[in-house]
Amino acid sequence: MNSDKRFSYARFAVIVLVAIVFFVPLWWMTVSAFRPTDAIFRYLSPLSPWSFFPRTWTLENITGIWYGNFGRAIFNSIFITLVTVVLGLAICSTAAFALAVIEFPFRKSVFMVMVISFLIPFDAIAVPLYGIMRMMNLQNTYTGLILPGIGNGLAVFLLRQFFLGIPKELREAAFVDGMGWFGIYWRVYLPLSGPAMLSAALILFVFQWQAYLWPLLIAPAPDYKVAAVAIAQFSAEYNPNFGLIFAASLVISVIPMIVLTVLQRYYSTSVASTGGKE
Amino acid sequence: MTQRSAILAALAFLMPALVSVFLLRLWPAAVAVNTSLIPPGGGGYSLENFRYIFTDPVFLNSLKVTIVFLLIVNPLQIAISLALALLMNTMVPLIGFWRTVILLPVAIPQSVSAVVWGVALRPDGLVNAVLVALGMEPQRFLTSSDQALASIILIVSWIGVGYWMTFILAGLQDIPKSLYEAVRIDGANRWQQFRFVTLPQLRRPLTFVLVANTVANFLIFAPVQILTAGGPEGSTDLIMNTVYTQAFIISDPESAAASTVVLVGVVLLIVILQFRLMRAEDSNE
Repeated sequence: MNSDKRFSYARFAVIVLVAIVFFVPLWWMTVSAFRPTDAIFRYLSPLSPWSFFPRTWTLENITGIWYGNFGRAIFNSIFITLVTVVLGLAICSTAAFALAVIEFPFRKSVFMVMVISFLIPFDAIAVPLYGIMRMMNLQNTYTGLILPGIGNGLAVFLLRQFFLGIPKELREAAFVDGMGWFGIYWRVYLPLSGPAMLSAALILFVFQWQAYLWPLLIAPAPDYKVAAVAIAQFSAEYNPNFGLIFAASLVISVIPMIVLTVLQRYYSTSVASTGGKE
Repeated sequence: MTQRSAILAALAFLMPALVSVFLLRLWPAAVAVNTSLIPPGGGGYSLENFRYIFTDPVFLNSLKVTIVFLLIVNPLQIAISLALALLMNTMVPLIGFWRTVILLPVAIPQSVSAVVWGVALRPDGLVNAVLVALGMEPQRFLTSSDQALASIILIVSWIGVGYWMTFILAGLQDIPKSLYEAVRIDGANRWQQFRFVTLPQLRRPLTFVLVANTVANFLIFAPVQILTAGGPEGSTDLIMNTVYTQAFIISDPESAAASTVVLVGVVLLIVILQFRLMRAEDSNE
């Protein structure tokens, strides 16, 4: 850790101030979710403490969003994201294992093609993929929603990197004990890779929770709509109910905010380790 | 273990990922290339669709807007991320918490950020309330063709800079302290330390951020589609929005395919660069 160790009050004050500036939109979203709809704009001009702290608190927005299809959309998002994380970890870690541990011809080329393909953000290819998935009748299905999230270039890269660091002697000993490749993967490599798997899980989680263009195309039916799409359509209504919009925004945001706050260390490590650290 | 059994094992482990690469990337790319080469009227392969989009004022405007957007948003985000990283590279109480607060927006779906900022940027919204309180004129933001792109830049920067800061912060923490001590003995002041130690040592993380940031900003879609639909007067018509409009609003699959090929081609070049930067670290393999 090469941080500046002298404590400076001025610097501390600037840090807190910057953090507050970044947090203002989220704070405003949160308090607006808890105030009566007609009060959201009333206290903005002139700006006063009441712009940022509700005079009257209400839960009517938070309870109101569950009457329509929004509850279903939140459920869809949670379900799709969980399945994506589990399947994505399975696919990315087995691929990373082969690419890091098993010696086979053209290993580097396979690694390169795979990571580069997966690094192309999925949205770029969404339009032709939509045609293919429609042909396969995967419109308005969970399969269609989940599939694009399971192959992630950063996750493969990160896990391979981690597996390369596990000493060769361990797998040689396991071979002597008669373990096969799968045993080595499952009982030697995975138990040692908790932090790396958690980092990869976070990458997969953030990707799928964020997804917007793909779900918009592949799953327009109300039963399969995800929260990120539902909120946008909510706000596009002719006479939107801002209380409900903020309440829905809060519910969608609070889940990744909690996950990230708790696991920030793993997320930052995962981000940094793909960023050309020396 | 024999060579053959190793190949079979590798194949078994790689199979699900290889199938995904094929299904989710290579096949759609092939479909896009194929569609892009067949003109609407049929009649064999030609470059007619590309000729069409490169004379289509809407597509050309979208290229122009995208390039202007990237030329502003990339240096801006990198400068802010660097400044944030320098600021946050210190030990003060709760420093992990302050860093997380700045990182939070990246975890929230862009559509939610777009919706919340869309309300904040309304004429009677929060941002104008703050401007007026500071003694400034209220602005039109997303409804003005002069300010809409700047508003989108504000939103995507609020979303992204904490993420890019994380890379630079990691780079800062890797700089050996001895380098600073060496130049300090030579009498370097703070600016000279930054200029002759910090910046050169950050070359790799900064290059990586520039490349990855370019890909991310190139494909910005949700804020544009939700807040402006490319308007007013095409002033925010970024390339992803144009492709989406061609494919699903005006139903012109040939142009959409040609635009997708251009888009994927550019992204592929940048991603290969990104991969080479990621790889350089394990050249010891």
